[in-house]
Amino acid sequence: MKSSNQYWKGIDELEQTPEFVESEGREFYEGLPLDKVFSNDDSFRANRRDFLKFFGFSVGAVALAACNKTPVKYAMPYAIHPDNVTPGVPLHYASSSISDYEGFPMLVKVREGRPIKFEPNKEAEFYGGGLDGLAHASILSLYDTNRTPGAQKKIETAYDSIEWAEADEAIMKGLSSAASSGKQIAVVSRSSTSLLLKSAVEKLNEKYGNVVHVNYEPVSYSGILHANEQSFGKKAIPAYHFGKADVIVSFGADFLGTWISPVRFSADWGKNRVPKNGKMSKHIQFESLMSLSGANADVRVPMTASSTGAHLVTLYNELLQLAGSSMVSGPKKELAGQAIKHAAEDLWKARGKSLVVSGSNDVNDQIIVNAINTLLGNYGTTIDMNNHFNGYSGDDSSFKKFTSDVNSGRVGAAIFVDANPSYSHKSFGSLLSKIPLTVSNALIMDETARSCTYLTPDLHALESWDIKEPYVGSYVFNQPTIGPVFQGRQIAESLMVWSGQSNSASGDKTYTYELTKSIFDSKIGGDFNKAIERGFLMSTASASPVSLGVSPADAASKIGARKTSETNLVLYQKVGVRDGYFANTPWAHEMPDPVTKVCWDNYLSISKPDADKAGLKDGDVAKVTANGVTLDSIPVLIQPGQARGTYGIALGYGRMLPESVQNDLKDLGQNVYPMVDHSGNTCNYVISEGVSVEKVEGAYELARTQSHHTIEGRNIVREASLDAYNEDPYVTNHHKHNLVSLWEEHDYSKGHHWAMAIDLNSCTGCSACIVSCSIENNVPIVGRTEIRRRREMHWIRIDRYYSFEVPQAATVHIDKIMGDAEVSEGDYLTEEKKINNYTEDTSDALYDNVKVVHQPMLCQHCDHAPCETVCPVLATTHSGEGLNQMTYNRCIGTKYCANNCPYKVRRFNWFRFNENKKFDYHFSNDLGKMVINPDVTVRSRGVMEKCSFCVQRIQSAKLQAKREDRKMESDEFTTACAQTCPSKAIVFGDLNDPKSEISKLYNNERSYHVIEELDTKPSIVYMTKIRNKKEKSNNHVAHH
Amino acid sequence: MYQAEIRKPLVTGGKSYADVTNDICRPIENKPSSSWWLGFSVALVLLLVLIGTLGWTTWEGIGTWGVNKTVMWGWDITNFVFWIGIGHAGTLISAILLLFRQKWRMSINRSAEAMTIFAVLCAAVFPLFHMGRVWLGYWPLPLPNAFGSLWVNFNSPLLWDVFAISTYFSVSLVFWYLGLIPDIATVRDRAKSKGRKFWYGFFAMGWNGSARTWARYEVVALILAGISTPLVLSVHTIVSFDFATSVIPGWHTTIFPPYFVAGAIFSGFGMVLTLLLVARHVMGYQDYITSEHLEAMCKVILLTGSIVGLAYITEFVIAAYSGYEYEQYAFMNRMFGPYAWAYWTMMTCNLIAPQVFWSKWARTTPWFIFIISIIVNIGMWFERFVIIVTSLHRDFLPSSWVMYKPTWVEAGIFAGTLGLFFTLFFLFAKFLPVINMSEVKTIIKDKE
Repeated sequence: MKSSNQYWKGIDELEQTPEFVESEGREFYEGLPLDKVFSNDDSFRANRRDFLKFFGFSVGAVALAACNKTPVKYAMPYAIHPDNVTPGVPLHYASSSISDYEGFPMLVKVREGRPIKFEPNKEAEFYGGGLDGLAHASILSLYDTNRTPGAQKKIETAYDSIEWAEADEAIMKGLSSAASSGKQIAVVSRSSTSLLLKSAVEKLNEKYGNVVHVNYEPVSYSGILHANEQSFGKKAIPAYHFGKADVIVSFGADFLGTWISPVRFSADWGKNRVPKNGKMSKHIQFESLMSLSGANADVRVPMTASSTGAHLVTLYNELLQLAGSSMVSGPKKELAGQAIKHAAEDLWKARGKSLVVSGSNDVNDQIIVNAINTLLGNYGTTIDMNNHFNGYSGDDSSFKKFTSDVNSGRVGAAIFVDANPSYSHKSFGSLLSKIPLTVSNALIMDETARSCTYLTPDLHALESWDIKEPYVGSYVFNQPTIGPVFQGRQIAESLMVWSGQSNSASGDKTYTYELTKSIFDSKIGGDFNKAIERGFLMSTASASPVSLGVSPADAASKIGARKTSETNLVLYQKVGVRDGYFANTPWAHEMPDPVTKVCWDNYLSISKPDADKAGLKDGDVAKVTANGVTLDSIPVLIQPGQARGTYGIALGYGRMLPESVQNDLKDLGQNVYPMVDHSGNTCNYVISEGVSVEKVEGAYELARTQSHHTIEGRNIVREASLDAYNEDPYVTNHHKHNLVSLWEEHDYSKGHHWAMAIDLNSCTGCSACIVSCSIENNVPIVGRTEIRRRREMHWIRIDRYYSFEVPQAATVHIDKIMGDAEVSEGDYLTEEKKINNYTEDTSDALYDNVKVVHQPMLCQHCDHAPCETVCPVLATTHSGEGLNQMTYNRCIGTKYCANNCPYKVRRFNWFRFNENKKFDYHFSNDLGKMVINPDVTVRSRGVMEKCSFCVQRIQSAKLQAKREDRKMESDEFTTACAQTCPSKAIVFGDLNDPKSEISKLYNNERSYHVIEELDTKPSIVYMTKIRNKKEKSNNHVAHH
Repeated sequence: MYQAEIRKPLVTGGKSYADVTNDICRPIENKPSSSWWLGFSVALVLLLVLIGTLGWTTWEGIGTWGVNKTVMWGWDITNFVFWIGIGHAGTLISAILLLFRQKWRMSINRSAEAMTIFAVLCAAVFPLFHMGRVWLGYWPLPLPNAFGSLWVNFNSPLLWDVFAISTYFSVSLVFWYLGLIPDIATVRDRAKSKGRKFWYGFFAMGWNGSARTWARYEVVALILAGISTPLVLSVHTIVSFDFATSVIPGWHTTIFPPYFVAGAIFSGFGMVLTLLLVARHVMGYQDYITSEHLEAMCKVILLTGSIVGLAYITEFVIAAYSGYEYEQYAFMNRMFGPYAWAYWTMMTCNLIAPQVFWSKWARTTPWFIFIISIIVNIGMWFERFVIIVTSLHRDFLPSSWVMYKPTWVEAGIFAGTLGLFFTLFFLFAKFLPVINMSEVKTIIKDKE
């Protein structure tokens, strides 16, 4: 039925005019001007000239547009989708750390086939579940463009690429001729704990005979090895358990920074540093330099390094006296304030739960240490000789024997495995030419490889299979997480090939996989896949007491006969760079030294009184002579707390890197390995003879991230003694300000509320968090010059403050207005003016007793954030979960937010730090960019950035929970800094989750906010530092 | 015009109306002198330096400056506040003194207003180019946009600055141009060449000098003066909010608004004196800018300088009284810290130096006033440097304390804005009447 309703478009249609009726049938109402087009009317048609004009313009415009070169980016899809790989979802593989050779369980985070970050293996409880700065930094060595591409042969002075087969043939020929001429074949390796290497060397010996395996360590622990061999018949370093010790006494052993296995020791030490039931461990450090361990000690007393033995004997005698035994004859040398006597009393009270360690590399010193620990009954509790450590087994005397063999022409071939003695040994470089065949496995052309006849580059550890045995019966597994980036070959495979084994792969399994599996099956046994997945196996043997098989009296008398000197040069390792093997890793240098806060260089550290005597100040340069070696000019740094008469220079610098390295890594620092004293059985890193320091013309500005070192009496870091804390747990946190706010409170009642707690008690300041954060968040490396300009980009930093104990009461002049102030003995001075004027008027003794605090500082994610209100374009805003978020795309770079930040944690992109030849680090080359975390934006020039509380991790954990349709647990993930902290000082979590650790810590009696009187309402609480020390006067509780 | 017996005439030399016109039109109608060419060339070279250094900054990044992780504002914002302050004298003279019927303003207001406009232009360079991404410099404007739900932050003092300064600039420009119209018409009427006739005719906007035109002109001038008057107070008040509303000790101070306004007027008069003393000497305008004018301006300097000095002392006393250790330290640090030399330069130049104007001789001796005016300019630059840099370089956490040193790029930009300023001023002196002829004619007694 037709509808009675009629709709019409216009009057014309309603009226059905003839025009309408006619036009309705046409497609174009007005018709097409066809007749005009086909007419001869020129005004309507484009003529020839117009055509040329339009044509010319079009061609020109297209040409101009084409001139703009659009970068071509290739994104290759997977031809065959690999199993388990989902783009955007990271995979974690268990593996072992590469920066220390004993092997340390960790996880490798892999995105789309690229390893991008190392994360601690939290299941490996024994190892503490942390990683240090160098461990994180070392990932860059995988993506180092300077790695040697394939086998090389030395012709004259240059290297030429050769085929692997050709290299194998030549090397095997060389090895055979060495064997047939009756000469030694030496495999010189870092004291690796690799089982693959071990079995490959065995195979090599089977084939050629007369193969010697020389373990070489640039910084050796031979003193401990020999002492233990003599004392207990085991040439090994024991396993130490700092966490089980109630009293720790260290004589110059920087066990939190560089000594043996600092990551594990930090974790262990941290366990007993948070007061529980009114108790915590007491850490006493006697040392000559200011080490990281010294900075964290409850009691720290400067000690002359060359008197370590005498002080140890004194402690031994004090303990013998307390034990009622007769004393040994030997030197008696007390420290200031009868520190050794007090230490002995503390140790004796904690018999069986104490630990004495020494950083000395002298056998007799270490025998006394063994005697002390035996007397105290520490073996079996805090020291475990059964599950002893396998690392650092390099023995100076065996290397000495090797060098003399080389010198007398008894070595026919030498294969250097991760060893670089030409750099780290004074006289070795010149000996290399006496060996007919020399082969190096170095990844980059290092000092030793430069003089070798063949260079057969190893695979990077991340490309390799391996089994390591860091402790007896404990294994750590290494699995490849990426295919070989360069044409290298794993050294174990190379050695097998040279032993005449066939390295043909069977099926889809590589040769090294088969080798690893066969070693696993024969030496360990069990489920290989499960072991690889977990990454490690732990020994189950228990510790037991041992008896001393050596006479301490002999050692004591030998120590007594030793010459000591008041002027010493201590050659030490820095926390970031260590022995220098990874000196080509820029993050190792960009990470500030935890104590001096210097990046990029080594320097002469000197005590204030010595500096005053020599007329030196920070920024001067000095000429240093020691052990017959002279450094013409080295920058000077005055180090509070350093023993008088002691100078310090860090090892590990002055590396000769490939010529292609043109950034700040080139000619970095000065090599002081030639100063090491090789005259005795063990290397001596304390040089007592012929040490002279004099000022020379010139100046050198060290790149330091902190230049003001005292806290100016401010209530920023709170600390109290254990006694005061036991009396009143809220000791420093009673005073609260009556704060009134104009702002409305945020409502966090729904969802999450992220927060962080940082325990100043367990934080050692080791700076692992800095590197972990930087790699997680694509923080650029800016180099020495920019750090000198105070523009480091770290999102988290560790503030370090010194305070000085007043040796005697005095009146110090402050300034014109404030006049004079009285300071009494035992006060801690924290104000620059008082400190300077006190020493001017009275004594230098002020610099001997230094108290150090470390405070990690990062974006506080304030609820009332001063930065948020001042941004004109709302580029920084507050999230509903308590995060202070930064929108890089919206930022125009007024920098107002950073000015208004009371914590000064915002960082500005002063330059474009990627693809910039001036910042030629991994962000500026295609290979290096592989390490970039794809979850985090690489910031452009001109925008502000700062800590985001790892928002990408929060989001991915939330997404994961959502996908699995469950409620997210707040302990499911953590931030990069908290994750890596070896001593577990940082805890991150959800305050809205009552079960979370953070919500407990937030209400802890030690928790406080920094500058809380400003009422910025930070989301980070710090927890008061408690020192296990008797305070003469308690001057930090005072109202500010 | 009636002149009181006890008041000295505002224009000396027994000038007739024709003399006024002839004197003031002379530089416009004659070829520029060699001293003009010399000055203009120097200014132009400096302007090129500005272009070069700004170009380098834009190309490379703010990293070419000496600012760092702690002191994120250095010479840039120092110069910004300095130039904004300079501008204030012009507005004060043309608006407030107009409302107060201070007739002595008439021979100086034109150049003072020109100075305002040029100074604001120089000032604008800094907030724009201190941005990390200067090409997005329009984002702080509340423009409708296609970026999604993005809007500006009305809590931010920087946004207030955007409004305050753009208002200030546009009102000052309109006011200045309005005042110029009768004089431009005079130049037009005297013009001999076609080009001059056209251009001056164009800008005279058909001014015919009728009673009706004059009546409307005066009403509009009065209205604009009324609008400008609060701007004298508001602009620098809002600039001071950049600091006062922050949390940084040494910035977070309630005294800042009046203290900044007084300082701005102080520095503005310093700059007016510097310029006028030179212009008066070079162009021979001693009869129009008499020692009476100089004396009056010196008195303003004495007054505002003392207000500023009082503010310095008040700030210090408040800090001492506050019991707030960070504030106390900030002020102790200013006086005795590593930038003490800057603080004492500021105190000497701003508080002590102007006190010489208690002496009549000092107020009436041009060469001496010139020296003091330069000292005032230096002192006020240092005031801003002291406030910005010494407060930032040592704030709450001593770990972040740093020193700040400018680079040649920052020095070049500052020198370059001087170039911009003087280029514009030389062009102004060449092409426009530097003294308001029509107003000056109302205060002279023509014998005819």
